Amino acid sequence: MPLKLLKCDELIPEREKHVYVKAAGEDTTQFLPLSNVSTIPGTLSERGCSYCGAKLVIGGVLKDTIQMIHGPVGCAYDTWHTKRYPSDNDNFQLKYVWSTDLKEKHIVFGGEKQLKTSMLEAFKAMPDLKRMFLYTTCATALIGDDPKAVAKAVEEELGDVDIFVVQCPGFAGVSQSKGHHVLNMAWLNEKVGTLEPTITSKYTMNFIGDYNIQGDTYVLEKYFHDMGIQIVAHFTGNATYDDMRGMHRAQLNVVNCARSAGYIANELKKRYDIPRLDIDTWGFTYMAEGLRKVGAFYGLEAEAEKVIEAEYAKYGEQLAFYKKALTGKRMCIWTGGPRLWHWTKAVEDDLGVEVVAMSSKFGHQEDFEKVIARGREGTIYIDDGNELEFFEVIAEVKPDIIYTGPRVGELVKKLHIPYINGHAYHNGPYMGFEGFINMARDMYNAVSSPLMQLAKTDIRETEGK
Amino acid sequence: MSERSDEIVAFIQERCLWQFFSRAWDREENIQGIIDILGQIIKGEHITLETPSDRCLYADAKILAGQIKERSPWISQVTAEQLDDTLATVKARLTEITITKSQNIELRVAGY
Repeated sequence: MPLKLLKCDELIPEREKHVYVKAAGEDTTQFLPLSNVSTIPGTLSERGCSYCGAKLVIGGVLKDTIQMIHGPVGCAYDTWHTKRYPSDNDNFQLKYVWSTDLKEKHIVFGGEKQLKTSMLEAFKAMPDLKRMFLYTTCATALIGDDPKAVAKAVEEELGDVDIFVVQCPGFAGVSQSKGHHVLNMAWLNEKVGTLEPTITSKYTMNFIGDYNIQGDTYVLEKYFHDMGIQIVAHFTGNATYDDMRGMHRAQLNVVNCARSAGYIANELKKRYDIPRLDIDTWGFTYMAEGLRKVGAFYGLEAEAEKVIEAEYAKYGEQLAFYKKALTGKRMCIWTGGPRLWHWTKAVEDDLGVEVVAMSSKFGHQEDFEKVIARGREGTIYIDDGNELEFFEVIAEVKPDIIYTGPRVGELVKKLHIPYINGHAYHNGPYMGFEGFINMARDMYNAVSSPLMQLAKTDIRETEGK
Repeated sequence: MSERSDEIVAFIQERCLWQFFSRAWDREENIQGIIDILGQIIKGEHITLETPSDRCLYADAKILAGQIKERSPWISQVTAEQLDDTLATVKARLTEITITKSQNIELRVAGY
Protein backbone atom coordinates (compact mmCIF):
# COMPACT_ATOMS: atom_id res chain seq x y z
CA MET A 1 0.00 0.00 0.00
CA PRO A 2 1.48 3.40 -0.88
CA LEU A 3 1.12 6.71 0.88
CA LYS A 4 -2.19 7.06 2.65
CA LEU A 5 -4.67 9.90 3.05
CA LEU A 6 -6.34 9.48 6.42
CA LYS A 7 -10.03 10.34 6.64
CA CYS A 8 -9.41 13.25 9.00
CA ASP A 9 -7.02 14.78 6.46
CA GLU A 10 -9.49 15.05 3.62
CA LEU A 11 -9.46 18.85 3.93
CA ILE A 12 -5.65 18.95 4.00
CA PRO A 13 -4.82 16.42 1.26
CA GLU A 14 -1.13 17.43 1.31
CA ARG A 15 -0.89 15.22 4.41
CA GLU A 16 -1.06 12.14 2.21
CA LYS A 17 2.64 12.58 1.41
CA HIS A 18 3.46 12.25 5.12
CA VAL A 19 1.72 8.95 5.91
CA TYR A 20 2.88 5.55 4.67
CA VAL A 21 1.71 2.00 5.30
CA LYS A 22 4.34 -0.62 4.56
CA ALA A 23 3.35 -3.50 2.28
CA ALA A 24 5.12 -6.72 1.36
CA GLY A 25 7.78 -6.35 -1.30
CA GLU A 26 8.06 -2.57 -1.00
CA ASP A 27 11.18 -0.63 -0.18
CA THR A 28 12.07 3.01 0.37
CA THR A 29 12.94 3.62 -3.28
CA GLN A 30 9.22 3.37 -4.00
CA PHE A 31 7.71 5.29 -1.10
CA LEU A 32 9.35 7.58 1.42
CA PRO A 33 7.20 10.00 3.43
CA LEU A 34 7.99 13.69 3.15
CA SER A 35 9.64 14.99 6.28
CA ASN A 36 11.57 17.98 7.65
CA VAL A 37 9.31 20.31 5.73
CA SER A 38 7.11 23.11 7.06
CA THR A 39 4.02 22.04 8.94
CA ILE A 40 0.99 22.40 6.68
CA PRO A 41 -1.45 25.15 7.74
CA GLY A 42 -4.53 23.52 9.20
CA THR A 43 -2.70 20.64 10.84
CA LEU A 44 -2.07 20.84 14.56
CA SER A 45 1.58 19.90 14.84
CA GLU A 46 3.15 18.88 18.12
CA ARG A 47 6.61 19.97 17.04
CA GLY A 48 8.85 22.18 19.15
CA CYS A 49 10.73 25.26 17.98
CA SER A 50 14.31 25.34 16.73
CA TYR A 51 15.66 27.22 19.73
CA CYS A 52 14.14 24.53 21.97
CA GLY A 53 15.99 21.86 19.97
CA ALA A 54 19.28 23.58 20.69
CA LYS A 55 18.73 24.47 24.32
CA LEU A 56 16.47 21.85 25.83
CA VAL A 57 17.80 18.83 24.01
CA ILE A 58 21.53 19.36 23.61
CA GLY A 59 23.12 22.42 25.23
CA GLY A 60 21.09 22.41 28.43
CA VAL A 61 22.44 18.99 29.37
CA LEU A 62 25.92 20.32 30.19
CA LYS A 63 26.62 20.17 33.88
CA ASP A 64 29.01 23.08 34.39
CA THR A 65 27.71 25.75 32.08
CA ILE A 66 25.58 28.86 32.50
CA GLN A 67 22.78 28.68 29.93
CA MET A 68 21.99 32.33 29.23
CA ILE A 69 18.81 32.75 27.24
CA HIS A 70 18.51 36.12 25.57
CA GLY A 71 14.79 36.69 25.25
CA PRO A 72 11.51 36.94 27.16
CA VAL A 73 11.43 34.87 30.31
CA GLY A 74 9.07 32.25 28.89
CA CYS A 75 11.72 30.99 26.48
CA ALA A 76 13.86 30.17 29.51
CA TYR A 77 11.19 28.62 31.69
CA ASP A 78 9.71 26.46 28.94
CA THR A 79 13.05 24.86 28.14
CA TRP A 80 14.08 24.23 31.72
CA HIS A 81 13.75 20.99 33.71
CA THR A 82 11.07 19.50 31.48
CA LYS A 83 13.56 16.90 30.37
CA ARG A 84 15.12 14.76 33.06
CA TYR A 85 18.85 14.60 32.45
CA PRO A 86 20.71 14.35 35.74
CA SER A 87 24.43 14.87 36.33
CA ASP A 88 26.98 13.59 38.80
CA ASN A 89 27.46 17.04 40.36
CA ASP A 90 24.13 17.04 42.14
CA ASN A 91 22.14 17.90 39.03
CA PHE A 92 23.41 21.48 38.82
CA GLN A 93 21.87 22.10 35.39
CA LEU A 94 18.40 21.09 36.54
CA LYS A 95 18.41 23.54 39.43
CA TYR A 96 19.05 26.83 37.68
CA VAL A 97 17.74 28.82 34.78
CA TRP A 98 19.07 32.06 33.38
CA SER A 99 17.33 34.67 31.26
CA THR A 100 17.84 38.25 30.18
CA ASP A 101 14.11 38.70 30.83
CA LEU A 102 13.47 40.99 27.89
CA LYS A 103 10.66 43.49 28.07
CA GLU A 104 8.97 45.74 25.55
CA LYS A 105 11.46 48.60 26.11
CA HIS A 106 14.33 46.28 25.08
CA ILE A 107 12.49 45.30 21.93
CA VAL A 108 12.06 48.99 21.10
CA PHE A 109 15.51 50.26 22.12
CA GLY A 110 17.63 47.09 21.75
CA GLY A 111 18.58 44.35 24.21
CA GLU A 112 22.38 44.23 24.02
CA LYS A 113 22.96 46.36 27.11
CA GLN A 114 20.59 44.15 29.08
CA LEU A 115 22.35 41.07 27.73
CA LYS A 116 25.77 42.24 28.85
CA THR A 117 24.44 43.17 32.29
CA SER A 118 22.81 39.74 32.67
CA MET A 119 25.94 37.88 31.59
CA LEU A 120 28.17 39.77 33.99
CA GLU A 121 25.64 39.34 36.75
CA ALA A 122 25.45 35.57 36.16
CA PHE A 123 29.23 35.12 36.23
CA LYS A 124 29.41 37.26 39.37
CA ALA A 125 26.66 35.31 41.11
CA MET A 126 28.32 31.99 40.25
CA PRO A 127 32.03 32.75 40.46
CA ASP A 128 33.06 29.09 40.13
CA LEU A 129 31.49 28.87 36.68
CA LYS A 130 33.61 30.05 33.79
CA ARG A 131 31.68 28.67 30.86
CA MET A 132 28.50 29.90 29.19
CA PHE A 133 26.15 28.97 26.36
CA LEU A 134 24.33 32.04 25.06
CA TYR A 135 21.15 31.52 23.03
CA THR A 136 19.27 33.95 20.83
CA THR A 137 15.48 33.66 20.67
CA CYS A 138 12.87 34.87 18.18
CA ALA A 139 12.59 38.31 19.78
CA THR A 140 16.30 39.08 19.95
CA ALA A 141 17.01 37.70 16.49
CA LEU A 142 14.26 39.87 15.01
CA ILE A 143 15.48 43.10 16.60
CA GLY A 144 19.00 42.39 15.35
CA ASP A 145 20.93 42.13 18.61
CA ASP A 146 24.50 40.94 18.07
CA PRO A 147 25.15 38.34 20.79
CA LYS A 148 28.57 37.40 19.43
CA ALA A 149 29.83 40.95 19.83
CA VAL A 150 28.48 41.08 23.39
CA ALA A 151 30.02 37.68 24.20
CA LYS A 152 33.39 38.88 22.93
CA ALA A 153 33.16 42.01 25.04
CA VAL A 154 32.32 39.95 28.16
CA GLU A 155 35.17 37.51 27.47
CA GLU A 156 37.58 40.43 27.17
CA GLU A 157 36.28 42.14 30.28
CA LEU A 158 36.41 39.06 32.51
CA GLY A 159 39.46 37.41 30.96
CA ASP A 160 38.91 33.89 32.30
CA VAL A 161 35.57 32.88 30.77
CA ASP A 162 34.67 31.06 27.56
CA ILE A 163 31.33 31.67 25.85
CA PHE A 164 29.63 29.75 23.05
CA VAL A 165 26.90 31.54 21.14
CA VAL A 166 24.01 29.55 19.67
CA GLN A 167 22.28 31.66 17.02
CA CYS A 168 19.17 29.63 16.43
CA PRO A 169 15.91 31.49 17.11
CA GLY A 170 12.68 29.53 17.27
CA PHE A 171 11.74 30.35 13.71
CA ALA A 172 15.10 29.25 12.23
CA GLY A 173 13.75 25.95 10.94
CA VAL A 174 10.66 23.80 10.63
CA SER A 175 11.16 21.95 13.93
CA GLN A 176 13.52 21.39 16.84
CA SER A 177 15.81 19.46 14.48
CA LYS A 178 17.20 22.74 13.16
CA GLY A 179 18.34 23.61 16.68
CA HIS A 180 20.23 20.34 17.03
CA HIS A 181 21.81 21.04 13.66
CA VAL A 182 22.86 24.66 14.31
CA LEU A 183 24.30 23.93 17.75
CA ASN A 184 26.18 20.82 16.63
CA MET A 185 27.80 22.38 13.59
CA ALA A 186 28.66 25.63 15.37
CA TRP A 187 30.28 23.70 18.22
CA LEU A 188 32.30 21.68 15.77
CA ASN A 189 33.43 24.74 13.86
CA GLU A 190 34.13 27.02 16.79
CA LYS A 191 35.06 24.95 19.83
CA VAL A 192 36.34 21.48 18.93
CA GLY A 193 40.12 21.54 18.94
CA THR A 194 40.45 24.56 21.25
CA LEU A 195 41.51 22.50 24.27
CA GLU A 196 43.74 19.44 24.59
CA PRO A 197 42.12 16.69 26.70
CA THR A 198 44.00 14.57 29.20
CA ILE A 199 44.34 11.09 27.76
CA THR A 200 44.37 8.31 30.36
CA SER A 201 43.85 5.16 28.28
CA LYS A 202 45.29 3.47 25.23
CA TYR A 203 41.73 3.30 23.93
CA THR A 204 39.67 6.47 23.49
CA MET A 205 36.28 7.35 22.02
CA ASN A 206 33.67 10.05 21.75
CA PHE A 207 30.11 8.99 22.37
CA ILE A 208 27.85 11.23 20.28
CA GLY A 209 24.09 11.51 20.70
CA ASP A 210 23.12 10.46 24.21
CA TYR A 211 21.81 13.07 26.62
CA ASN A 212 21.76 11.15 29.90
CA ILE A 213 17.99 10.86 30.12
CA GLN A 214 17.41 9.55 33.65
CA GLY A 215 20.96 8.24 33.74
CA ASP A 216 21.43 6.56 30.33
CA THR A 217 24.97 7.92 30.17
CA TYR A 218 25.98 6.30 33.45
CA VAL A 219 24.82 2.91 32.18
CA LEU A 220 26.67 3.18 28.87
CA GLU A 221 29.86 4.62 30.31
CA LYS A 222 30.16 1.78 32.79
CA TYR A 223 30.27 -0.75 29.94
CA PHE A 224 32.96 1.17 28.08
CA HIS A 225 35.01 1.86 31.19
CA ASP A 226 34.85 -1.83 32.09
CA MET A 227 36.30 -2.54 28.65
CA GLY A 228 39.15 -0.12 29.39
CA ILE A 229 38.00 2.63 27.05
CA GLN A 230 38.23 6.32 27.96
CA ILE A 231 35.37 8.51 26.81
CA VAL A 232 36.98 11.79 25.83
CA ALA A 233 33.68 13.54 25.15
CA HIS A 234 30.18 12.30 25.77
CA PHE A 235 28.09 14.56 23.55
CA THR A 236 26.37 15.81 25.73
CA GLY A 237 25.20 13.52 28.58
CA ASN A 238 26.75 14.41 31.96
CA ALA A 239 29.44 16.32 30.07
CA THR A 240 31.38 19.47 30.80
CA TYR A 241 31.94 22.29 28.33
CA ASP A 242 35.66 21.59 28.21
CA ASP A 243 35.20 17.82 27.70
CA MET A 244 33.58 18.59 24.40
CA ARG A 245 36.34 20.90 23.22
CA GLY A 246 38.67 17.90 23.16
CA MET A 247 36.67 15.71 20.75
CA HIS A 248 39.43 15.89 18.15
CA ARG A 249 41.68 13.59 20.19
CA ALA A 250 39.49 10.46 20.31
CA GLN A 251 40.24 7.40 18.18
CA LEU A 252 36.62 6.55 17.41
CA ASN A 253 33.26 8.31 17.25
CA VAL A 254 30.44 6.07 18.40
CA VAL A 255 27.13 7.57 17.25
CA ASN A 256 23.79 6.74 18.81
CA CYS A 257 21.61 9.56 17.49
CA ALA A 258 20.85 10.67 13.94
CA ARG A 259 21.42 13.32 11.35
CA SER A 260 23.38 16.24 12.85
CA ALA A 261 24.97 13.90 15.42
CA GLY A 262 26.18 12.05 12.37
CA TYR A 263 27.34 15.31 10.81
CA ILE A 264 29.65 15.91 13.77
CA ALA A 265 31.09 12.45 13.29
CA ASN A 266 31.43 12.93 9.53
CA GLU A 267 33.31 16.18 9.96
CA LEU A 268 35.56 14.74 12.66
CA LYS A 269 36.36 11.99 10.18
CA LYS A 270 37.20 14.47 7.42
CA ARG A 271 39.18 16.85 9.62
CA TYR A 272 40.86 14.51 12.10
CA ASP A 273 40.59 11.06 10.51
CA ILE A 274 38.43 9.70 13.34
CA PRO A 275 36.10 6.97 12.01
CA ARG A 276 32.37 6.82 12.72
CA LEU A 277 30.59 3.76 14.11
CA ASP A 278 26.79 3.91 14.51
CA ILE A 279 25.21 1.62 17.10
CA ASP A 280 21.87 1.04 18.86
CA THR A 281 21.86 1.13 22.64
CA TRP A 282 18.26 0.22 23.54
CA GLY A 283 17.55 -3.52 23.75
CA PHE A 284 19.64 -6.52 24.78
CA THR A 285 20.38 -7.76 21.26
CA TYR A 286 21.34 -4.33 19.95
CA MET A 287 23.42 -3.37 23.00
CA ALA A 288 25.37 -6.62 22.81
CA GLU A 289 25.91 -6.07 19.08
CA GLY A 290 27.11 -2.50 19.71
CA LEU A 291 29.58 -3.57 22.38
CA ARG A 292 30.90 -6.32 20.11
CA LYS A 293 31.48 -3.80 17.33
CA VAL A 294 33.31 -1.43 19.63
CA GLY A 295 35.34 -4.37 20.95
CA ALA A 296 36.22 -5.42 17.39
CA PHE A 297 37.45 -1.92 16.55
CA TYR A 298 39.97 -1.85 19.41
CA GLY A 299 40.78 -5.56 19.55
CA LEU A 300 38.94 -5.73 22.88
CA GLU A 301 36.59 -8.56 21.91
CA ALA A 302 37.18 -10.55 25.11
CA GLU A 303 36.48 -7.48 27.25
CA ALA A 304 33.23 -6.87 25.39
CA GLU A 305 32.12 -10.48 25.85
CA LYS A 306 32.86 -10.23 29.56
CA VAL A 307 30.56 -7.23 29.93
CA ILE A 308 27.80 -8.87 27.87
CA GLU A 309 28.03 -12.12 29.82
CA ALA A 310 27.83 -10.33 33.16
CA GLU A 311 24.83 -8.26 32.07
CA TYR A 312 22.94 -11.25 30.69
CA ALA A 313 23.64 -13.12 33.91
CA LYS A 314 22.26 -10.22 35.90
CA TYR A 315 19.22 -9.33 33.79
CA GLY A 316 18.54 -12.23 31.40
CA GLU A 317 15.97 -13.91 33.62
CA GLN A 318 13.96 -10.71 34.02
CA LEU A 319 14.00 -10.18 30.26
CA ALA A 320 12.58 -13.68 29.74
CA PHE A 321 9.78 -12.92 32.23
CA TYR A 322 8.82 -9.70 30.49
CA LYS A 323 9.04 -11.25 27.03
CA LYS A 324 6.63 -13.98 28.08
CA ALA A 325 4.23 -11.42 29.52
CA LEU A 326 4.43 -8.92 26.66
CA THR A 327 4.57 -11.10 23.55
CA GLY A 328 1.83 -10.09 21.13
CA LYS A 329 1.14 -6.69 22.71
CA ARG A 330 0.61 -3.90 20.21
CA MET A 331 2.61 -0.72 20.61
CA CYS A 332 2.73 2.74 19.05
CA ILE A 333 5.88 4.86 19.10
CA TRP A 334 5.18 8.55 18.66
CA THR A 335 8.38 10.34 19.54
CA GLY A 336 10.96 12.62 17.93
CA GLY A 337 12.81 10.70 15.24
CA PRO A 338 15.58 8.23 16.10
CA ARG A 339 13.68 6.28 18.76
CA LEU A 340 11.36 4.94 16.10
CA TRP A 341 14.12 2.99 14.39
CA HIS A 342 16.09 2.30 17.57
CA TRP A 343 13.07 0.73 19.26
CA THR A 344 10.93 -1.05 16.68
CA LYS A 345 13.15 -4.13 16.30
CA ALA A 346 14.42 -3.96 19.86
CA VAL A 347 10.97 -4.47 21.36
CA GLU A 348 10.03 -6.99 18.68
CA ASP A 349 13.15 -9.15 19.02
CA ASP A 350 13.65 -8.91 22.76
CA LEU A 351 10.07 -8.57 24.04
CA GLY A 352 7.85 -9.99 21.30
CA VAL A 353 6.00 -6.66 21.06
CA GLU A 354 4.51 -5.62 17.70
CA VAL A 355 4.94 -1.97 16.76
CA VAL A 356 1.81 -1.12 14.78
CA ALA A 357 2.14 2.64 14.24
CA MET A 358 4.97 5.15 14.44
CA SER A 359 5.04 8.91 14.18
CA SER A 360 8.03 11.23 14.12
CA LYS A 361 7.92 14.89 15.10
CA PHE A 362 11.15 16.06 13.56
CA GLY A 363 12.75 13.07 11.82
CA HIS A 364 14.28 13.51 8.40
CA GLN A 365 14.08 11.16 5.43
CA GLU A 366 17.18 9.40 6.76
CA ASP A 367 15.12 8.43 9.82
CA PHE A 368 12.26 7.17 7.66
CA GLU A 369 14.63 5.12 5.49
CA LYS A 370 15.87 3.42 8.64
CA VAL A 371 12.53 2.84 10.30
CA ILE A 372 10.74 1.59 7.19
CA ALA A 373 13.62 -0.82 6.54
CA ARG A 374 13.38 -2.10 10.10
CA GLY A 375 9.66 -1.85 10.79
CA ARG A 376 6.86 -4.33 10.21
CA GLU A 377 4.62 -4.67 7.19
CA GLY A 378 1.17 -3.20 7.81
CA THR A 379 2.61 -0.68 10.26
CA ILE A 380 1.67 3.00 9.76
CA TYR A 381 4.57 5.47 9.50
CA ILE A 382 3.71 9.16 9.98
CA ASP A 383 5.70 12.36 9.73
CA ASP A 384 4.68 15.29 11.97
CA GLY A 385 1.46 13.60 13.09
CA ASN A 386 -1.46 15.73 14.25
CA GLU A 387 -4.03 15.12 16.94
CA LEU A 388 -6.88 13.99 14.68
CA GLU A 389 -4.55 11.59 12.90
CA PHE A 390 -3.60 10.08 16.25
CA PHE A 391 -7.28 9.49 17.07
CA GLU A 392 -7.89 7.85 13.71
CA VAL A 393 -4.78 5.68 13.87
CA ILE A 394 -5.64 4.55 17.41
CA ALA A 395 -9.08 3.46 16.23
CA GLU A 396 -7.52 1.57 13.35
CA VAL A 397 -4.58 -0.20 15.01
CA LYS A 398 -6.01 -0.62 18.54
CA PRO A 399 -2.75 -0.41 20.49
CA ASP A 400 -2.22 -1.82 23.97
CA ILE A 401 0.33 0.85 24.80
CA ILE A 402 1.72 4.09 23.38
CA TYR A 403 5.21 5.50 23.93
CA THR A 404 5.02 9.25 23.38
CA GLY A 405 5.52 12.61 25.05
CA PRO A 406 3.40 14.11 27.83
CA ARG A 407 1.42 16.32 25.42
CA VAL A 408 0.08 13.45 23.32
CA GLY A 409 0.18 11.24 26.40
CA GLU A 410 -2.51 13.28 28.11
CA LEU A 411 -4.70 12.92 25.04
CA VAL A 412 -4.11 9.18 24.97
CA LYS A 413 -4.98 8.82 28.64
CA LYS A 414 -8.41 10.28 27.95
CA LEU A 415 -8.98 7.37 25.59
CA HIS A 416 -8.01 5.02 28.45
CA ILE A 417 -4.95 3.69 26.70
CA PRO A 418 -1.80 3.49 28.82
CA TYR A 419 1.04 5.70 27.72
CA ILE A 420 4.71 5.77 28.70
CA ASN A 421 6.86 8.88 28.40
CA GLY A 422 8.96 8.10 25.36
CA HIS A 423 11.08 11.24 25.63
CA ALA A 424 12.07 11.52 29.28
CA TYR A 425 10.94 7.98 30.32
CA HIS A 426 8.70 6.94 33.21
CA ASN A 427 11.26 5.04 35.32
CA GLY A 428 14.54 5.11 33.41
CA PRO A 429 17.27 4.81 32.40
CA TYR A 430 16.14 2.80 29.38
CA MET A 431 19.46 2.30 27.59
CA GLY A 432 21.64 -0.77 27.91
CA PHE A 433 20.65 -4.08 29.49
CA GLU A 434 19.58 -2.66 32.83
CA GLY A 435 17.73 0.14 31.07
CA PHE A 436 15.81 -2.17 28.79
CA ILE A 437 14.54 -4.04 31.82
CA ASN A 438 13.25 -0.72 33.15
CA MET A 439 11.56 -0.06 29.84
CA ALA A 440 9.98 -3.52 29.81
CA ARG A 441 8.86 -3.12 33.43
CA ASP A 442 7.17 0.20 32.65
CA MET A 443 5.45 -1.42 29.69
CA TYR A 444 4.39 -4.44 31.72
CA ASN A 445 3.05 -2.31 34.58
CA ALA A 446 1.16 -0.09 32.16
CA VAL A 447 -0.57 -2.88 30.25
CA SER A 448 -1.25 -4.94 33.38
CA SER A 449 -2.67 -2.17 35.53
CA PRO A 450 -6.48 -2.18 35.88
CA LEU A 451 -6.43 1.60 36.22
CA MET A 452 -7.34 2.47 32.64
CA GLN A 453 -10.26 0.03 32.58
CA LEU A 454 -11.53 1.30 35.93
CA ALA A 455 -11.27 4.87 34.68
CA LYS A 456 -13.78 4.08 31.95
CA THR A 457 -16.50 3.60 34.54
CA ASP A 458 -18.62 6.69 35.06
CA ILE A 459 -19.19 6.67 38.82
CA ARG A 460 -22.14 9.01 38.46
CA GLU A 461 -24.02 6.07 36.98
CA THR A 462 -23.28 3.73 39.86
CA GLU A 463 -23.29 6.14 42.84
CA GLY A 464 -27.05 6.40 43.18
CA LYS A 465 -27.67 2.68 42.88
CA MET B 1 21.97 -16.51 -6.87
CA SER B 2 19.25 -13.88 -6.76
CA GLU B 3 17.55 -15.56 -3.81
CA ARG B 4 20.83 -15.69 -1.93
CA SER B 5 21.64 -12.04 -2.50
CA ASP B 6 18.04 -11.05 -1.71
CA GLU B 7 18.30 -12.88 1.61
CA ILE B 8 21.47 -10.97 2.56
CA VAL B 9 20.12 -7.63 1.36
CA ALA B 10 16.92 -8.13 3.37
CA PHE B 11 18.94 -8.87 6.50
CA ILE B 12 21.27 -5.91 6.02
CA GLN B 13 18.34 -3.57 5.35
CA GLU B 14 16.70 -4.62 8.59
CA ARG B 15 19.83 -4.67 10.71
CA CYS B 16 22.61 -2.32 9.66
CA LEU B 17 22.85 1.42 10.29
CA TRP B 18 25.98 1.93 8.18
CA GLN B 19 23.99 1.79 4.93
CA PHE B 20 22.02 4.85 6.08
CA PHE B 21 24.78 7.31 6.90
CA SER B 22 24.27 11.00 6.18
CA ARG B 23 25.37 11.46 2.60
CA ALA B 24 25.86 9.49 -0.64
CA TRP B 25 29.66 9.49 -0.23
CA ASP B 26 29.72 7.87 3.21
CA ARG B 27 27.02 5.33 2.30
CA GLU B 28 29.08 4.37 -0.75
CA GLU B 29 32.25 4.10 1.32
CA ASN B 30 30.53 1.84 3.85
CA ILE B 31 28.81 -0.42 1.32
CA GLN B 32 32.02 -0.97 -0.65
CA GLY B 33 34.30 -1.30 2.37
CA ILE B 34 32.15 -3.46 4.62
CA ILE B 35 30.97 -5.88 1.93
CA ASP B 36 34.57 -6.33 0.70
CA ILE B 37 35.77 -7.19 4.21
CA LEU B 38 32.70 -9.38 4.76
CA GLY B 39 33.77 -11.48 1.76
CA GLN B 40 37.33 -11.73 3.06
CA ILE B 41 36.15 -12.84 6.50
CA ILE B 42 33.82 -15.51 5.10
CA LYS B 43 36.58 -16.82 2.82
CA GLY B 44 38.99 -16.88 5.76
CA GLU B 45 41.46 -14.58 4.02
CA HIS B 46 44.12 -12.55 5.80
CA ILE B 47 42.84 -9.02 6.36
CA THR B 48 45.16 -6.04 6.52
CA LEU B 49 43.82 -3.14 8.54
CA GLU B 50 46.05 -0.14 7.95
CA THR B 51 43.98 2.84 9.00
CA PRO B 52 41.44 3.63 11.76
CA SER B 53 38.76 3.69 9.04
CA ASP B 54 39.75 0.16 7.98
CA ARG B 55 39.34 -1.02 11.57
CA CYS B 56 35.94 0.60 11.79
CA LEU B 57 34.73 -1.07 8.59
CA TYR B 58 36.13 -4.33 9.93
CA ALA B 59 34.18 -3.96 13.19
CA ASP B 60 30.88 -3.74 11.29
CA ALA B 61 31.85 -6.48 8.83
CA LYS B 62 32.97 -8.89 11.56
CA ILE B 63 29.67 -8.75 13.44
CA LEU B 64 27.70 -8.97 10.19
CA ALA B 65 29.72 -12.02 9.07
CA GLY B 66 28.84 -13.83 12.30
CA GLN B 67 25.16 -12.99 11.94
CA ILE B 68 24.99 -14.05 8.28
CA LYS B 69 26.83 -17.32 8.91
CA GLU B 70 24.31 -18.13 11.62
CA ARG B 71 21.21 -17.17 9.62
CA SER B 72 22.35 -18.33 6.18
CA PRO B 73 24.63 -21.34 6.70
CA TRP B 74 24.87 -21.86 2.93
CA ILE B 75 27.26 -18.92 2.82
CA SER B 76 30.10 -21.03 4.18
CA GLN B 77 29.44 -23.78 1.62
CA VAL B 78 29.59 -21.79 -1.64
CA THR B 79 32.73 -21.43 -3.75
CA ALA B 80 34.79 -18.25 -3.65
CA GLU B 81 33.52 -17.26 -7.11
CA GLN B 82 29.90 -17.81 -6.10
CA LEU B 83 30.43 -15.77 -2.97
CA ASP B 84 32.06 -12.94 -4.92
CA ASP B 85 29.17 -12.91 -7.38
CA THR B 86 26.57 -12.93 -4.60
CA LEU B 87 28.26 -10.10 -2.72
CA ALA B 88 28.68 -8.06 -5.91
CA THR B 89 24.91 -8.32 -6.38
CA VAL B 90 24.38 -7.35 -2.72
CA LYS B 91 26.56 -4.27 -3.18
CA ALA B 92 24.73 -3.25 -6.34
CA ARG B 93 21.30 -3.66 -4.77
CA LEU B 94 22.21 -1.79 -1.57
CA THR B 95 23.71 1.01 -3.64
CA GLU B 96 20.49 1.20 -5.60
CA ILE B 97 18.21 1.25 -2.55
CA THR B 98 20.21 3.61 -0.38
CA ILE B 99 21.94 5.84 -2.95
CA THR B 100 21.07 5.86 -6.63
CA LYS B 101 17.33 5.31 -6.29
CA SER B 102 16.95 6.73 -2.80
CA GLN B 103 14.28 9.40 -2.44
CA ASN B 104 16.23 11.02 0.40
CA ILE B 105 16.78 14.55 -0.86
CA GLU B 106 19.55 15.29 1.65
CA LEU B 107 21.90 12.65 0.28
CA ARG B 108 23.59 14.96 -2.19
CA VAL B 109 23.59 18.17 -0.19
CA ALA B 110 27.19 19.33 -0.35
CA GLY B 111 27.42 20.92 3.09
CA TYR B 112 25.28 20.46 6.12
